[in-house]
Amino acid sequence: MNMKTLAQRFVAVLGVVAMLGVAGMAFTPAAQAQQINPTAESVTEDALLQALQEGDKIEGRVSIPDDLSSGLIKPGNASWASTHTGTVRFLTIAAVVGAVVVLALFYMIRGRIMIDGKMSGIRILRFTAIERFAHWLMAGSFIVLALTGLNLVLGRTMILPWLGEGAFSTITVWGKVAHNYVGWAFMLGLILSFLVWVAHNIPNKVDAEWVAQGGGLFKKGVHPPAKKFNAGQKVIFWATTLGGAALSFTGFMMLFPVLAGTQADWQFYQLIHGIVAAGLSFVIIAHIYIGSIGMEGAFDAMGSGEVDLNWAKEHHSLWVEEVQGKADPADPPAKGTQPAE
Amino acid sequence: MLVKRRSKDASRSGLAAFAQNVAAKPVDRRSFLRTSGLAVGGLAAFGAIGATTVQRAEAGMMDFSQPVEVKTNICTHCSVGCTVKAEVQNGVWVGQEPAWDSPINRGTHCAKGASVRELVHGDRRLKYPMKKENGEWVRVSWEQAIDEIGDKMLDIREKNGADSAYLLGSAKFSNEGAYLFRKFAAFWGTNNVDHQARICHSTTVAGVANTWGYGAMTNSYNDIRNSKTIIFMGSNAAEAHPVSLQHILTGKETNRANVIVIDPRFTRTAAHATDYIRMRPGTDIAIIWGIMWHIFENDWQDQEYIDQRVWGMDQIREAVKAYPPEVVERISGISGPELRRVAETFATQGPATFIWCMGGTQHTVGTANVRTYCNLLLATGNVGSNGSGANIFRGHCNVQGATDFGLDIGSLPCYYGLSEGGWRHWSRVWDVPYEYLQARFDEVPAKGGRDARDRQANMQMAGIPSTRWFDAATLDADDVDQRDNIKAMIVFGHGGNTVPRMGDSLKGMNALDLLVVADPHPTTFAALHDRPDNTYLLPISTQFECDGSRTASNRSVQWGEKVVEPIFESDNDYAVIYRLSEKLGFADEMFKPYDMVQGKFSMEPTAESILREINRGGWSTGYTGQSPERIKAHMANQDKFDLVTLRAPADAEEVGGDFYGLPWPCWGTPEFGHPGTHILYNPNVAVKDGGGGFRPRFGLDREGETLLAEGSYPVGSEIEDGYPQFTYGILQSLGWDTDLTADELATIQRIGNNDPEAMAKVSWSLDLSGGIQRVAIEHGCVPFGNGKARAVAWNLPDPIPVHREPIYSPRPDLVADYPTREDGRQFRVPNIGHTLQASAVDRNLADSFPIVLTSGRLVEYEGGGEETRSNPWLAELQQDMFVEINPTDAAARGITDGGWVWVNGPENDSKARVKALVTERVASGVAFMPFHFAGWFQGEDQRGNYPAGTDPIVLGESVNTVTSYGYDPVTGMHEGKVTLCQISAA
Amino acid sequence: MARMKFLCDADRCIECNACVTACKNEHEVPWGINRRRVVTINDGLPGERSVSMACMHCTDAPCAAVCPVDCFYTTDDAVVLHSKDTCIGCGYCFYACPFGAPQYPKVGNFGTRGKMDKCTYCAGGPEADMTEAEYVKYGSNRLAEGKLPLCAEMCSTKSLLAGDGDIIAEIYKERVVTRGYGSGAWGWRTAYGDAITV
Repeated sequence: MNMKTLAQRFVAVLGVVAMLGVAGMAFTPAAQAQQINPTAESVTEDALLQALQEGDKIEGRVSIPDDLSSGLIKPGNASWASTHTGTVRFLTIAAVVGAVVVLALFYMIRGRIMIDGKMSGIRILRFTAIERFAHWLMAGSFIVLALTGLNLVLGRTMILPWLGEGAFSTITVWGKVAHNYVGWAFMLGLILSFLVWVAHNIPNKVDAEWVAQGGGLFKKGVHPPAKKFNAGQKVIFWATTLGGAALSFTGFMMLFPVLAGTQADWQFYQLIHGIVAAGLSFVIIAHIYIGSIGMEGAFDAMGSGEVDLNWAKEHHSLWVEEVQGKADPADPPAKGTQPAE
Repeated sequence: MLVKRRSKDASRSGLAAFAQNVAAKPVDRRSFLRTSGLAVGGLAAFGAIGATTVQRAEAGMMDFSQPVEVKTNICTHCSVGCTVKAEVQNGVWVGQEPAWDSPINRGTHCAKGASVRELVHGDRRLKYPMKKENGEWVRVSWEQAIDEIGDKMLDIREKNGADSAYLLGSAKFSNEGAYLFRKFAAFWGTNNVDHQARICHSTTVAGVANTWGYGAMTNSYNDIRNSKTIIFMGSNAAEAHPVSLQHILTGKETNRANVIVIDPRFTRTAAHATDYIRMRPGTDIAIIWGIMWHIFENDWQDQEYIDQRVWGMDQIREAVKAYPPEVVERISGISGPELRRVAETFATQGPATFIWCMGGTQHTVGTANVRTYCNLLLATGNVGSNGSGANIFRGHCNVQGATDFGLDIGSLPCYYGLSEGGWRHWSRVWDVPYEYLQARFDEVPAKGGRDARDRQANMQMAGIPSTRWFDAATLDADDVDQRDNIKAMIVFGHGGNTVPRMGDSLKGMNALDLLVVADPHPTTFAALHDRPDNTYLLPISTQFECDGSRTASNRSVQWGEKVVEPIFESDNDYAVIYRLSEKLGFADEMFKPYDMVQGKFSMEPTAESILREINRGGWSTGYTGQSPERIKAHMANQDKFDLVTLRAPADAEEVGGDFYGLPWPCWGTPEFGHPGTHILYNPNVAVKDGGGGFRPRFGLDREGETLLAEGSYPVGSEIEDGYPQFTYGILQSLGWDTDLTADELATIQRIGNNDPEAMAKVSWSLDLSGGIQRVAIEHGCVPFGNGKARAVAWNLPDPIPVHREPIYSPRPDLVADYPTREDGRQFRVPNIGHTLQASAVDRNLADSFPIVLTSGRLVEYEGGGEETRSNPWLAELQQDMFVEINPTDAAARGITDGGWVWVNGPENDSKARVKALVTERVASGVAFMPFHFAGWFQGEDQRGNYPAGTDPIVLGESVNTVTSYGYDPVTGMHEGKVTLCQISAA
Repeated sequence: MARMKFLCDADRCIECNACVTACKNEHEVPWGINRRRVVTINDGLPGERSVSMACMHCTDAPCAAVCPVDCFYTTDDAVVLHSKDTCIGCGYCFYACPFGAPQYPKVGNFGTRGKMDKCTYCAGGPEADMTEAEYVKYGSNRLAEGKLPLCAEMCSTKSLLAGDGDIIAEIYKERVVTRGYGSGAWGWRTAYGDAITV
């Protein structure tokens, strides 16, 4: 017998005592002590609901071998529903719309970040084929996942009215299938990119300076030094790694509900999945922007893998020094901060 | 109570849309057949069988373009008698609708009733006759099966005698089937014919009939709506008779009635009680005497009632002095104040009714238990009026009818005894010479120190109860008091897992020369053993596949209409009994009174013509007024009957003034128009309105006191006092014989052979004209007389019941004070209960088996459970056999809820592997197991023993594997409710 | 227009499971899908009560709110139904339902639950009323025939009431007044935002 049953019995006993008190003198004292009146001692919904802890449920015994069916009333499910349709939907919209708005403003104010020193014509290898494979595996799957995931959250209000029920259901079913299977590609990409890049993403002092200078994003000609990855990229790396891991774990649990535990666990995983997905979407939209239209020369790094030397010197001066230093050990390693050229 | 849906937009509103749909979208027959599973594929699966005999009725939706026929039948599960409305299309049962008009169930059902349509889908039904050949089940034709069975039976008859064939019948028979089977036994020449009443209410019938006349529920489920106090003792009606709770809970609510549940287990019935009292199993007598101790102590008895209508209550008053509160508490665990409260409530807040079931009856002291209940009712004046009574809830759908028609080792149809008078009565009705029947019986040689019996004596000797057939098959022949051991079991509709000592029962099955199971399902009789041959399965249809009447617990007779033709190759009881009789050579004699019609495979008698024969002979019980026409009229006019009184208004067409189902006794001929008797022994109404008094069937006086009622008589009686049963002689002395018509008189003369002395003795129960009954009732008198109930039944083993410990008692200290009765011989076999009890005490058995094991019903299953465990809609709800064990006992044994455990029984190292259900429903020291499971035996899964495709969906251990010895001396009832066990984690 | 509701009077419910098998019978519901079930609270203890539960056809049904494909709809009778053609089997409605009503044909690893199934209040689905197409997906449509859900119609003790919410509430109130006790209209507060006060 668990604590709850004991508590319920205690309440029941209290009820009897109270009732007998009212019944008063009609009974002999001995009779009072012994009568079990199941009708009078009946549980009531009101009492059970009042005693219910947040997230708990009114449950009992069922003879069918299905634990899920033993829950009778679970008011908490409605609060999951309102969180899902409220908070998660809001955060998702906020993330997507917010990212677009912020980047649009940024673009209007800052414009495209050009290579100050123009193209040098010298190209150096920034990302190996393996690195690019890891990135694009992750990136491609993420886009599929994001779109199909967003569809689950927002499609009903934004797409369904345009497509109609039948067509929308069809694409959503396929979207669900895609989401369930492409997730594995994402997880693979996530693991690969973690392995190849984690060493370059350990935060250090250089990052503090980079952050102090706002990454040089807000002022033309300012180029704080950076190694292979600057602090902004490290943020993206860690956001992707941690967020991706969270999405992978929660997604995995939703794919295998039997492993996940109870319904409350599923709900928890689902909420985490939704919120993290919203946040990561924000980050990735920004990443896509800066990696493509936001910055001249950036895309090449993941495109061909080779970048223009000047671009590299402007944005990853220390890395360039490292790479070139390796080639020419006479060059002293960079010390402290250096103004960008 | 339900509110019909209100208006709705035209496209979806009711019948208008229905009609439009029909017009708009006709569905051709082929697509209908496809949806109903009758398509070619379904037939191809049974390739060899002709299309005409196989009907795989896997009905799905109703097709609104096809005509719907609504058939009315009765639920085939418990005894409440719920009407079933079946919607049939093209011979397929496609839908089940509420039978709103039935005053018994008013549209409702329990889990079983709401799923009966599945029974004629019948996925797991036995599909054709089968036999065992070298241990394998093979399919045979009906002709071959009947031929081989008949030859074997005749062979056994020749070598071992007629008594060596045991005819085990069924409470699942219709009245006509039950009657026919009893008649079959008579024509075969044995009294070894029995059915489930042996193991459910045989002790009730014996106890109640010995108290006040008839062995039946005195009132009705509906009448409990009038009760102010209701005691359930050993009844879990909420699970066993769910629809009865509709009446009981409504009564409880509207009368603010007291509902007292006295039970070892906190049942679902107890959950709705106002007073729940936990008792130690098997202590009913001490408890009731304890209650009566308080009643007499406080003068709460109904003295006027006792003086007028009860004989011997003074002796009871003396006897209960031996059961003061401290003694009762020592025996039962119930304190004095608790019982005082029950006593005061029951005695002073009337009308009060007492309800009991198997918790009271299945004991070595079953009959004595019943007699104490009757005494409590008599002492408080609670028999024979609205809202009171002994409301005995019977178990199977027609166990009342099957009992009434003498599927019983000790009586002939309608409780005519095995005496010469009884046999002569039925030989007149059956139109065969008495000598013909007598010649069918065995002569029994002297053996085992007992005298020989001639045919007549053997004909008058009760047979072997169904609880002991296997002992009669395996005991030394000298110990079995008939020509030879049981050699053949012919089992119609009876499970093999329903009586204790299944290990011994298995030995009995293996010892048989012939085993025939005639049933919709193979049952445990087919699956428990590994007999290599001489084992036959005959597929019998359910009552939904044939016509016939059935008697509900409240004695109402209802007609069930054939819903669909018997499915697969199954056939109905009437036809199979006919074919067997034909093979055995007495069909011409036995079936000559009936209208024979062409049935599915052979000729068969019509149910109507069998019922008409019952009407011609059932005078003793008032089964004479219920003609097929009247009963059918009741079914067609269910809406006319009042919910509480069960009576139709006098001006109602066809059924005016009748009580629903013409509850017996329905006196006289159908033309006499007696309305039936809603409440037995009720002097508050005239006999012609269903009134009566207690039946004086034990003499006219005893110990110098009259056994006839004093100052109590039914309303309108011309004799304003007690009187004996009516005979022609009594009519003559009253001068009422002149009221007889010439025809009636001629019949009496014929029965009395025109001998005035013999004629004077022709009684109300032997007069085939019904004239004596008619005249008595027209003078306001009860045909059977107006007597006193007997508080003391001097002809029974314990005339005044005394508490006796069960054979396997957890209280050796009490065994010393309250031992079971001495060993003896009953019903042709020895009863060694006393020896076993003493041995158990000597061996300190209670130390190694410290838990009391009791058993009972689940709402989803019924009886042995083969049929219900084969129904997926029910089977899904109870997928595992279990034992209920108290959390304290479980914790002490390391047992967890849902875990596997072994339950070990006290005899023969018996054991059962089941799941634990850890619950406070049972007290510490008590365990409970349901009795519907079979198919596992002592840990072994026997699924492979069933013919392929007929194994029930859910199998499990039978509780009766671990239950043990113990038999009521009056009826042979087994001890199903108390044994000892040990439980350990598996 | 009627507002259909269920009300299980637990003081009448004896856990006989008629509602469960009536549902199976009427709609040929397969093994493993339990559109209706009976839950016993405080089993074996004084105060034990059983409640028959299925879809309560909530006001502002949370299942409908969370469905990503908007497959739920509410009929004029306030019955909450869904389209199996549209349903993608995501399981959100099961997360959202306070009563455990949504059922799935499969256990659901890898998101393969199959189309959701639940109590239809015997009102079928979006297909034309009383057609084979409707029956195969949703079971029979008793409401269209002018009948009420079979579970309630067949309830052994008339514990389970179905019909217009106001009328069944009135019946329940009368019972409570007559008998002097009532354990509440189970689920009403959660489903409809109001309880029946007597």
